[in-house]
Amino acid sequence: MEKKVLLAENQPEFGAGLEKALNMTPADVVYEVRDSGMKGRGGAGFPTGVKWNLAGAASSDVKYVICNADEGEPGTFKDRLLIEKYSERLIEGMAMGGYAIGGSCGIIYLRAEYPYLIPVLERARQNFLDRGLLGKNIRGSGFDFDIEIRPGAGAYVCGEETSLIESLEGKRGEPRNKPPYPVNSGYLDKPTIVNNVETFCAVPHIILNGSEWYTDLGVGDCTGTKLFSVSGDVERPGVYELPMGAPLKDLLELAGAEDIQAVQVGGASGATVPASGINRTLSFKDLPPGGSVIVFDSTINMVDVLENFMDFFVHESCGQCTPCREGNLRLMHAAQDIINGDLCCKACMAPYFELAEAMKISSKCGLGQTSANCFVDIVNNFVELSDECHCGEYRCEGGDE
Amino acid sequence: MHSVTVNINGKECNAREGSTILMACKELGIDVPTLCYHPDLSIAGNCRVCVVEVEGWKTLVPACVTPITPNMVVRTDSTKVRKTRKLLVELILANHHNNCPECERNGNCELQDLAERYNIRFNRFQTDEKPESSVQVSSAIMRDNSKCIMCTRCVRTCEELQSVAVIKSVGRSSEIHIGTFDDKGLGDVACTQCGQCINHCPTGALYEKDETVPVWAALEDPEKIVIVQTAPAVRVGLEEALGLPIDHHTGKMAAALRRLGFNRVLDTDFSADLTIIEEGHELLFRLKDALVEKKEVPLPMITSCSPGWIKFIEHKHNDLLDNLSTCKSPQQMFGAIAKTYLCDKEGFDPAKIVSVSVMPCTAKKFEKDRPEMNDSGFKDVDYVITTRELARMIKEAGIDFDHLPVEKFDRFMGDSTGAAVIFGATGGVMEAALRTAYEIATGEEIPFKGLNVLPVRGFKGIKEASVLLPDEMAEGWEFLAGVTLKVAVAHGLANADKLLKAVKAGEAEYHFIEIMACPGGCLGGGGQPIPTDMEKRMERMRAIYAEDESLPLRKSHENPEIQLLYAEYLKEPLGHKSHHLLHTKYTKRDRF
Amino acid sequence: MVRNPKEIVTEGISEFGNGRERIMQILTKVNSELSYVPSEAIEAIAEATNVSAAEVYSVVSFYSFFSSKPRGRNIVRLCSTISCAMAGQGDILRSLIDEFGIEPFETTGDGRLTLETTPCIGLCDQAPAMLVNGEPHVKLTPEKACEIVRGLE
Repeated sequence: MEKKVLLAENQPEFGAGLEKALNMTPADVVYEVRDSGMKGRGGAGFPTGVKWNLAGAASSDVKYVICNADEGEPGTFKDRLLIEKYSERLIEGMAMGGYAIGGSCGIIYLRAEYPYLIPVLERARQNFLDRGLLGKNIRGSGFDFDIEIRPGAGAYVCGEETSLIESLEGKRGEPRNKPPYPVNSGYLDKPTIVNNVETFCAVPHIILNGSEWYTDLGVGDCTGTKLFSVSGDVERPGVYELPMGAPLKDLLELAGAEDIQAVQVGGASGATVPASGINRTLSFKDLPPGGSVIVFDSTINMVDVLENFMDFFVHESCGQCTPCREGNLRLMHAAQDIINGDLCCKACMAPYFELAEAMKISSKCGLGQTSANCFVDIVNNFVELSDECHCGEYRCEGGDE
Repeated sequence: MHSVTVNINGKECNAREGSTILMACKELGIDVPTLCYHPDLSIAGNCRVCVVEVEGWKTLVPACVTPITPNMVVRTDSTKVRKTRKLLVELILANHHNNCPECERNGNCELQDLAERYNIRFNRFQTDEKPESSVQVSSAIMRDNSKCIMCTRCVRTCEELQSVAVIKSVGRSSEIHIGTFDDKGLGDVACTQCGQCINHCPTGALYEKDETVPVWAALEDPEKIVIVQTAPAVRVGLEEALGLPIDHHTGKMAAALRRLGFNRVLDTDFSADLTIIEEGHELLFRLKDALVEKKEVPLPMITSCSPGWIKFIEHKHNDLLDNLSTCKSPQQMFGAIAKTYLCDKEGFDPAKIVSVSVMPCTAKKFEKDRPEMNDSGFKDVDYVITTRELARMIKEAGIDFDHLPVEKFDRFMGDSTGAAVIFGATGGVMEAALRTAYEIATGEEIPFKGLNVLPVRGFKGIKEASVLLPDEMAEGWEFLAGVTLKVAVAHGLANADKLLKAVKAGEAEYHFIEIMACPGGCLGGGGQPIPTDMEKRMERMRAIYAEDESLPLRKSHENPEIQLLYAEYLKEPLGHKSHHLLHTKYTKRDRF
Repeated sequence: MVRNPKEIVTEGISEFGNGRERIMQILTKVNSELSYVPSEAIEAIAEATNVSAAEVYSVVSFYSFFSSKPRGRNIVRLCSTISCAMAGQGDILRSLIDEFGIEPFETTGDGRLTLETTPCIGLCDQAPAMLVNGEPHVKLTPEKACEIVRGLE
């Protein structure tokens, strides 16, 4: 069931992928990544090769390669593990990205919750510098690349790439309007690629083994492998690597989930899957494969989970746009009302479903567009609503149409 | 930008590629609601009420942000769009202290309009108490964050138009609010009190500190002699503020003031002419000191009429305070002369005078409270009300403005010239000063057709002009023969900042600079009617120059009452009395 | 010896540069040395990077790890997100509150300790977890958590 590539015991030497890439043209590196079909491992799933191709085509003397090491989705810790164990691989992948798009500045935006990983990354960088795999004229190729580690300061929204860029520019981490996209105008208005830790870590493997090898790793038309952070009510919480497109139940079996009431896939902003859904697949076509999988056993009150999640979003919304700032607050109140028995019937609930939909279609960034998912899923699957209203609240009658 | 075919609401139409959907809709006459959008400002895209449906997109898109692309299919009128917008307005209202009938902006509020438009009779999302009113007071500007909808128009105004940047979003998520450094009051930070944030606020979260109450009280007090002055730009904004068709009738304004009960209806335009006499001479003497006496004289000399600008330079460029003209602003000159000269002439007891000033400006409220502004022996100006406040008083008094007769200002401080009227527009002080200074120094009229110094007019952020002085000069000014007088004009503090930086860097050399804090000059002031945008500013500017052209006298030194004032009282420009009453000094203030 | 905030800012600027894009690094430096970002530091950063003090204050206020109000010498951040909550975070929080007499986001009278709750810190596989001055402590019990906090200087 497991298919270990990024986490394999026997790994290619750090730097081998970069050396191979330096013997290819930058365009060929981009094409190889594009042909691998890899989609961004952060969760949004934008094809990495397409992103690189656009940034490569943008004309500018300076371009930036940014690693998004700001995993903040509740239940996600796979990037922490990758950095702890494979930080050289990450730096190697970033250097390859730089070579591919024609950029020589790399920045790792590391979440403030991981300060203990700074020395790890510094050591890896030094190691690469010592081996001539970073710095000026790497291995005589004429290609320069170096990285810098920059701290976040505790803001989930900075996982959104334009917020991350704003934060790097010394501003509030508020998402930008798009267009322009970072590939054309990103950090300091220069063409920029922002990729997740796992994405960069996969690139050396793709270049060393070829795009076809990578596509074959997946299930069906999903390509590659994917890391999942599993926590909650399981025997063996931890990070597992599975083929993209694998069924959820494989992962649950690996982690030792016995009593399953529900599984949160893709973190708080992902999907809440009832036990009946464990045959669904982990892929961009089905369950969001962002990386976080949290198992809830039958002792858990799912509305408490909902309140915890909504509390998270109320804390983490940047507050810039109306639907996310105001909407999450109202959904949290609704969750509290459910707990207190003040939201009793379908009619009472209807406005909140409308709100959830409005947040999804009118929020500025992914945070507000996905934060209502858990509300809809949990209320639909785990909350009993009567057909008749008992509360007598005016709101049951006064709703919109 | 070339024209492309798009489909909006099922109709094929042409739009400019690259322009936003919002702009395209505006041009096509399709209404799209907005809140955080303001034509003066950068695009924020954060209120989301302008969302529209675009074929091929899973989500709705904000019309203010999204560019038109060829063959785009847009719906602004679908059920999805309408319901989403309505819901967004409900969300905003749920966190808004809506006491509309008691609000400053009742009847002129963009949020109220949307609530009405989307037929909101019941808020489904009022899950908690509404925010409590929390009014923060400063000299001129009041902030009530309970009415703030986080559109950030004030933040962008303060930063982009004014480069003051004292207000920002503070905190995050539901804790977010507009705040200052350390969340101090606006009076404790480098706020210029210009009031542009008020003009750009869609709701009642920002408004001027009301002074109509003490003005009513003075008017009702038989012991008091209440005199009033009105700034040049008020007369081109008052009808707008009253919601009347605009014909810019200064005479009706004078009549309305008289009906409100002011004992003397006088004109700041009079003291604008006075400013020109003093400031024109100050410039000529500085040039003389520099060119003849070879003294170290602070040049360029910079105008000092705009109190927002004064506060700005005191905070941000206080190494240049010596460059400011020492002339008080026309408001304060008026105040000092009214409680001295006018009292002499009319036999008034200055202690009984209540001097009220009607201004297009909020910073004037701050200016009148400056501790040094009491050279008459009394507080030179007692109350300042804005154009908007005057309109409110006229309404409250039930005066039928439209049908008032045309009346004149009262004597001694009521006459003015076209040169004073144009103080209301950016470049006006410069033009008025040039009309007079040139004539003093050369004995000839300034060689611009019809006295219109066109290079300093208009809305360009920084304007420059040079005037070549002839070889033949008037007696005493021969040293200026053949000199090219270089001048510059900036309006909006962001432009002022840019200009000063260029001057400091030695990139630009001028003899004289005019700066007005507000975009467009006083006609776009922070006390003017809301909305104020480019269209309104242009309309008001046209009115100002039309009034200038229509007046028989167009040079300050030709104002007969000014001539009388010097003959009987001041004796000479920059003389002893002038120095005491009409000139001032400035204060260094903290940068933040 | 507590250093002058301006001195730390000056050092940060020589370390990172005075570009606006360096603000987060300078703030992080001040914040970790002093446990918060005092007004003097905000002014010094604004001056050096040529932005307004309101702007820097606004940035400080955005990020959970920064504070413009004084905090204790030690900052304990107890994760309150779901995996930790399910693993008994609530009991730990209550014990910490009981033993040290402060609610979350309060500081002990002697300035030794500030207690905070925080969203997911990425240690869900070893829940419940907390960060003490940035160092991770995992698989906590109420007793273990209190013992760790007791041992802080």
